[in-house]
Amino acid sequence: MSTRNESGLGTRDVVMIALFAAIIVTLGLVPPVSIGVVPVPITLQTLGVMLAGAALGPVRGALSCALVALLTLIGLPVLSGGRGGVGVFLGPTGGYVVGWILGALVTGLLVKHWVLRLRGRGAQIAGYITACVVGGILVVYLIGIPWLWLASGLTLGKAFVGGLVFVPGDLVKAVVAGLVVHGVRRAYPIPVK
Amino acid sequence: MNLSLYVRGNTPLHRLPASVKFGVLFASGIALFLTDRVLVLGPAAAVGAGLLLSVRPPATALRRQLTGLLITLAVIFAAAALFEGVHTAFVVLFRLLALLLLALAVTFSTRAADLLEFFERLTAPLARLGVANPAKISLGVSLVLRFVPEVHRGYLEIREAQAARGLRANPAALVVPLIVRTLKSADAIADAIDARCYPPPHPTGRETTP
Repeated sequence: MSTRNESGLGTRDVVMIALFAAIIVTLGLVPPVSIGVVPVPITLQTLGVMLAGAALGPVRGALSCALVALLTLIGLPVLSGGRGGVGVFLGPTGGYVVGWILGALVTGLLVKHWVLRLRGRGAQIAGYITACVVGGILVVYLIGIPWLWLASGLTLGKAFVGGLVFVPGDLVKAVVAGLVVHGVRRAYPIPVK
Repeated sequence: MNLSLYVRGNTPLHRLPASVKFGVLFASGIALFLTDRVLVLGPAAAVGAGLLLSVRPPATALRRQLTGLLITLAVIFAAAALFEGVHTAFVVLFRLLALLLLALAVTFSTRAADLLEFFERLTAPLARLGVANPAKISLGVSLVLRFVPEVHRGYLEIREAQAARGLRANPAALVVPLIVRTLKSADAIADAIDARCYPPPHPTGRETTP
């Protein structure tokens, strides 16, 4: 019997998806850290989401985030601050969790088809950061903000402004994620998938 | 880490099957968005609160789940009152409150395993089409639960080692070794799973791969 199933994911892929989901959950468990530039402490959970796409690749990164979403749905306190349950998806910020899945997919696609072809340390780091900004911020907000609009009854413009409060922190995280992925790929290169 | 938000109990909500609870939650989600009347939504929120209290959640769990929720709702209420008028603000507040309290009641009163089984039945058509593989999904879920404490311990070890060398908490320096360490362990774990021939060859009792 082969270890690959219909979607071409072997046991090793399932393990990596699960381990990365565990990393995302863990980064939500640890106390928020202050990063120099932003005065407010920020949680590292969304950093894990950017890293999932950039380190594992589009399919496995997206499945990692989908696994975290599934655990949330069945009532495990896996989101930062110990939040969880189906209520997360019915609430105003549920779109961000759903957005993670697509965000990791887009980050992974950009890394797989663009960043890995770049030459030079600076260009690669800049590429990783760009991939994390596009996937981990733009795409996530593209789903998160309309969700906030639908769930809150605010006008789209107001929801947009309200949804932007996390952008400065997320930009810092994208830079950190870019540096981290570059470091990981140098220390332990794995094929993206 | 507390592994589940489920609260042990034998209240009427605990005894209802997960499918019924989810069906009601889904239907009320639609119904609550069909009306704009405070006179309907206000009592709906009260019913939600009543149902939540009926599962007798411990105060600590309740406080933990409600604090963040109430802060978000307060911000949205204030913004709606400021920009859209007080009436809209109350409509939004009661609607979200009713829905989210009801959802919390479902979460508190339903075992994670029961919910997982319900979603498995819900996605059974996908599994038959070969899009999803229930055995691999449940393998993934149990691996996450097994490895969150492990990864967390790794995180603390790395942070302590770096602190001992005089390094301030630096997310990049912390997360790189955490990920490398975790990815390296993936090989050994995958080998151990394959050696035990998991997942079984006939997860759905159908014919195996061609």
